[in-house]
Amino acid sequence: MKHTQLSDPSVLIIVPAYNEEEAISGTIMKLTQFKKQMPNLDICVINDGSKDNTAEIVRGFPEVILLDLPNNLGIGGAVQTGYKYADQAGYDIAVQFDADGQHNVDDLHTIIGPVAAGECDMCIGSRFVEKTEYSGSPFRRAGIFYFERLIHLLSGQKVTDPTSGFRAVNRDVIELFSINYPSDYPEPEVIIYLRRKKKRIEERTVLMHSRQGGESSITPFKSVYYMAKVTLSIVMQRLVGGA
Amino acid sequence: MEVTYFSFILVVILFIVVIESVRRGILETKYSLLWIIVCLFMGFFSISERFINKLGEFLGVFYPPSLLFLFGLLFIIVLVFDLTRRISKLNKALTNLTQEYAIMKKKFEEKDTD
Repeated sequence: MKHTQLSDPSVLIIVPAYNEEEAISGTIMKLTQFKKQMPNLDICVINDGSKDNTAEIVRGFPEVILLDLPNNLGIGGAVQTGYKYADQAGYDIAVQFDADGQHNVDDLHTIIGPVAAGECDMCIGSRFVEKTEYSGSPFRRAGIFYFERLIHLLSGQKVTDPTSGFRAVNRDVIELFSINYPSDYPEPEVIIYLRRKKKRIEERTVLMHSRQGGESSITPFKSVYYMAKVTLSIVMQRLVGGA
Repeated sequence: MEVTYFSFILVVILFIVVIESVRRGILETKYSLLWIIVCLFMGFFSISERFINKLGEFLGVFYPPSLLFLFGLLFIIVLVFDLTRRISKLNKALTNLTQEYAIMKKKFEEKDTD
């Protein structure tokens, strides 16, 4: 069952949104445009207790599934809501997609493809497999490089872009995530977790834009705290797993 | 008044507050157990001068009643750790409820529009 190929998989795009009123409608319009190429695809926005008009804007798109969280859970809890929905509604593939316009809809084929073909259980859209036009600040790149080395050291998994939130997963992983998903800064931690569960992770090159609006969840002020916290959490993830 | 008697009185007051809170249903019985154990221990330490002096001698403490602070601090650490564990558990339950609520609401709205 593991390596089955899906010819026409049902796909759920999970878009977590917290105070994204500036960027959300642009992102949704691009996604609905993409849906024309792939009719078996649904778009699910999780409004993570936003204080602005994010929910109202999403309600303006009747074809979009809106999961409206009554309070703010943070990125991990919001994304997990999407995975739980995907699990209950029986989707074959789920894709995480940022609300802020960083991710490129044309790359959806690139990361859904390998999962649909059964080549891997999770496919991450990476900025660094091949050289792309992405240019983050030197600090950001140093941070990403640091996590790449740390994850490689702890799990033997080579991931060039461990903080990328653009990823597609298959049914097996949807079920795992709906039971257990790390809460605060989940992207790097998830890699260790899946590796422990013996899941196959691959990367594909994607383009990423700078943010279209709103605020990044990671400000420079928080980044040192972020590095320390994520380091600790992935080391813990490795320790509790044993293997 | 010696510090030992003073702390004994404080412990007795705390004990009464704990028991009274349980009686009024403000504090759940299972959460009161740790507090009651703390009160009994601290009460015993404060009142038994012989014991605390022996222990001070054994641990090489110059002023034995200062052991009361040490034990008080240790108990507080245990209590706070216990609290963070309970908060984590509550947080997990709250996250789960919030997520299920949003999904149920969605299903409910779908039914409504059909």
